[in-house]
Amino acid sequence: MTMSRRGSWYKTRVTIAVASCAVMLFPLYWMVAVSFTSSREVRSRSLRLWPSDPTLDNFQRVFDRFPVWTWFGNSVAIAVVVTLITVSFNLMAGYAFAHLRFRGSGVFFIVLLSTMMLPVQVIMVPQFELVTRLGIYGTYWGVILPTAASAFGIFLARQFIIGIPRELIEAARIDGAGHLRVFVSIVLPMCKPLIAVLTLLTVLSTWNDFAWPLIALKENDLFTLPIGLLYLQGEFGADYGGIMAFALISVLPMVVLFLAFQRYFVQGFSRSGIR
Amino acid sequence: MSRPRRLSSIQQSQKLPRPGTSGWSRREVLGLFGGVGATAFVAGCGGFGGSGDDAVEGQITFTTWGTDAELEGFERTIAGWSDANPGASVRLNAVPFAQMFENIDAQLQSNTAPDIFRVDYDNLGTYAGRGQLLDMSSFFDDAFGERFSEAMWQAVKFDGNPYGVPHHTDTSLILYNTRMMTEAGITDIPTTLDTAWSWDEFEDVAATLRGQLPDDQYPFAYNWQASGVTRWLSWLFQSDGRFLAEDLVTPAIDSDAGRAAVDFTKSFFDKQFVPPNSSTKATTFANEFWYAETTAMTFAGAFLLPDANEVLDWEWGATYSPQNVRGGGDLGGNALVATANTEQGELAASFLRYATEQEPMRDFCAASSLLPTRRDLIESGIDLQARPELGRFFLEQATTVQPSDAEQIASASMAEINLVLSDELEQAFVGGQSTDDTLANIAAGIAEATER
Amino acid sequence: MTDTAVAPPHGGAAATEVADAPRASNGKRPRERSRRSLNETIAAYSFFGPNLVVIGMFLLVPVVWAIVISLQTTDGFGSGEFVGAENYQTLVNDADFWRATFNTVLFTAIIVPVSLAIGLGLAVLLNSVLPARPVLRTIIIVPMVISGVATGLMGEMVFDQNTGIVNRFLEAVGVGAVSWQSEGGPAFATVVLVTLWWRIGFNMVIYLAGLQSIGPHLYEAARIDGAGAWAQFRNITVPMLGPSTFFLLIMNVIYSLKVFDIVYVLTGGGPGNSTSVLVTYAYETGFVVRNQGYAAAIGIVLLVLTLLFTAAQWKLSRTRDLVE
Repeated sequence: MTMSRRGSWYKTRVTIAVASCAVMLFPLYWMVAVSFTSSREVRSRSLRLWPSDPTLDNFQRVFDRFPVWTWFGNSVAIAVVVTLITVSFNLMAGYAFAHLRFRGSGVFFIVLLSTMMLPVQVIMVPQFELVTRLGIYGTYWGVILPTAASAFGIFLARQFIIGIPRELIEAARIDGAGHLRVFVSIVLPMCKPLIAVLTLLTVLSTWNDFAWPLIALKENDLFTLPIGLLYLQGEFGADYGGIMAFALISVLPMVVLFLAFQRYFVQGFSRSGIR
Repeated sequence: MSRPRRLSSIQQSQKLPRPGTSGWSRREVLGLFGGVGATAFVAGCGGFGGSGDDAVEGQITFTTWGTDAELEGFERTIAGWSDANPGASVRLNAVPFAQMFENIDAQLQSNTAPDIFRVDYDNLGTYAGRGQLLDMSSFFDDAFGERFSEAMWQAVKFDGNPYGVPHHTDTSLILYNTRMMTEAGITDIPTTLDTAWSWDEFEDVAATLRGQLPDDQYPFAYNWQASGVTRWLSWLFQSDGRFLAEDLVTPAIDSDAGRAAVDFTKSFFDKQFVPPNSSTKATTFANEFWYAETTAMTFAGAFLLPDANEVLDWEWGATYSPQNVRGGGDLGGNALVATANTEQGELAASFLRYATEQEPMRDFCAASSLLPTRRDLIESGIDLQARPELGRFFLEQATTVQPSDAEQIASASMAEINLVLSDELEQAFVGGQSTDDTLANIAAGIAEATER
Repeated sequence: MTDTAVAPPHGGAAATEVADAPRASNGKRPRERSRRSLNETIAAYSFFGPNLVVIGMFLLVPVVWAIVISLQTTDGFGSGEFVGAENYQTLVNDADFWRATFNTVLFTAIIVPVSLAIGLGLAVLLNSVLPARPVLRTIIIVPMVISGVATGLMGEMVFDQNTGIVNRFLEAVGVGAVSWQSEGGPAFATVVLVTLWWRIGFNMVIYLAGLQSIGPHLYEAARIDGAGAWAQFRNITVPMLGPSTFFLLIMNVIYSLKVFDIVYVLTGGGPGNSTSVLVTYAYETGFVVRNQGYAAAIGIVLLVLTLLFTAAQWKLSRTRDLVE
């Protein structure tokens, strides 16, 4: 129902829209507000909507007590490696499904589709065993490898690469180019938007990943931000100032990334859905 | 597979700034000062810890949870031990309390377990019973055990062998809101252990408060929520009862003492002495009610003192837990243990020995507001960092824990017994279950647990 | 290559596309064709290989392994011993399991229709003329990039029954505080509300894309025929959004079956079992209580549930292609 003019019930629509945004925005606003609120005020029962005496105490406490930068670094390191692996593997696999015909592609496709629906809880016990036997339990790789096993990007890549005109590829093949050459010189350069979307979505989901790192990381030095956040929940309890300060730090990078590259995120979400 | 970059053990023990931080954090500075201070202190006292040990070398990993103060205390102990044993170091791994034992279990299963870890006395028996802890009898003989009170040394024994060292303990007693007590006319509050309230006197106090307080406030709350359910046993001990017979397998709770304990604690809910949502499965802890002045009294351990001191802006005091046939208390606090498969048994033993020397223990306990387990420190008393004048109450209350009580707590089935207690007491308190049924069910649950 | 227009994807369309993949017409002679196809197969497997290895090792093998483990009993420390279907028998009699299943189903049954409805409503709203539409749209989508843990903690703070802003507000307007943490019903409600907040943006995005692909001439025709706004909505918008709705239905149901982070952090499954869902129950069984054979069995049940939905989607998607 696109309307070219303001149309009926303009005022009502604006009100509802603004109210909805207020509801969506409020928890985030509250997170920021509380992170600057003193402990005493957080515990009080007054109905203030902003801190009466903004303070940096919470941030100070968080940085004093916990190795925030270490955890931040861990999240970055894991996100980077997982993204590198996932994006490159998925691009190649997407190309295979899009432009190469091979036996079993149909079967594989269905199998891959089903793996996307798998909650980690189905396989967490055997994955734990597997990672232990490989000797990587409790290390970065114990988190990176299982996390990089994702079929989601393959679909995205395939959908996109299918749109690359077959004639271009045929032409190059006739000229004698091997598949690798075709992939690198013709397909990849045209995949920039795809790479952007894949990278952003993978970074996002790895950064926010919680269930598997919870199982796989046991040493303080290696915790990622979500695990650190859980740690703070235990330590600070109802002292939300500290928790929100840390939550803000952990959430900010993704929000910034999102605001800067919103177009790609929306594209990515709407194409195949996010894990 | 490449391993993540870790700080070398030397860096860890000297607490250099981690990569990425700009300069020293307050905690690191404190730790360093603490380390220097502890060393100077120990040197000044004329003896390094380990009384005659040969210096040992190598690194051990130590997983623990802890408050800020506790972790800093551990770091000072580590620094002291490392200084006494050049070439020896400890890698401290601090994890959230809620996930502590999940972590340990996962690490035990995947063979990545630490060399030593901190564990409460309830769980110590469970781990020892499953063969996951190192039998320390070759390192610690009974002469070594003499440094601890009898109950505490008993608390780390399983099948007659020691499986760790009792590092600190804690026990609960009554903290009260002075204003609320005075307004109810209760001014005669016991200040010596032998004049502690009897059950009758305690009930009178509660009834007086109940009569005087408005409907949405309560005389007290008891700290048996969640994993604190084991503290209910104090009431049983106060009636000189047992939950396990001397063979530590047969249930012994279905007795007069058991009946008395269940009846008395059930009456708290029936008579509205405690908030209705303060039962064993509640999500609000007892002290939270007390902080909010919803209750006049709470039962709490010494570890709460610093927090209460910082948060509360009204006057409060402490008195002993009630007594029935005798005084009785809970065996809180934690031990330090070594894992069965550690390759650093000797090193671990050396560290555990050092941690329970007089000065390291005094330093740790005073700073963390916890109670010592050494006879000499219990005798002389220690100055807790917050409300030092209340320290003696806790120390005296801790003496009501008998070796026989500790022995039962150290049972291998304690974790499961706690689950049974939690379920059945919840039913008794807010589910209307009768005392007889409750006792029968608990006994059955205990029997099932000890059978496994 | 410029961005192609965003089209509402069909759930099962991806699979049907494989069958309809364009066949290159090549007039090559048979032998060359078969050599070429061998070539292609080798190339395909080299390209697909790395991904196949990782997915095979860390997703497929564990699924099969999970079935094996579910037939064993372990104490979490030693290796397991085979007990056949014993775990499944225990499952059938396990009250906690049924509670978790009930909660999961109830949660799904509430979340899916409500979030779809609100998502559609917001999409329709944001498709109409409004000031600063891009800003409004951004605000509604932002919650999606917040981690589940942070979202759960924000929820815990906002709904804290002692100090949370919701109760403070309720008391101020005279409704009175609600026991969001200590009572089962309210606790469940907090999980629902927090999840809605988190997921609405996604539904809105899909619906917006769908709306923008509906040809305006359809509405013109309807208007000429005298149909009012509501009639247009019912007879044009909703049917034309069929594929989007179907896709969202599947995505939201699958997601609801998987929800873990928010529940774990916000309520931990409590109070009692009132917010315990299958995934939190499986996690506790496997990694807290350490009854791993049993946890694997719960996982297999989860797997069967998700496979059923995948199968339903696969079948029904063939009847769901809507053409103008």
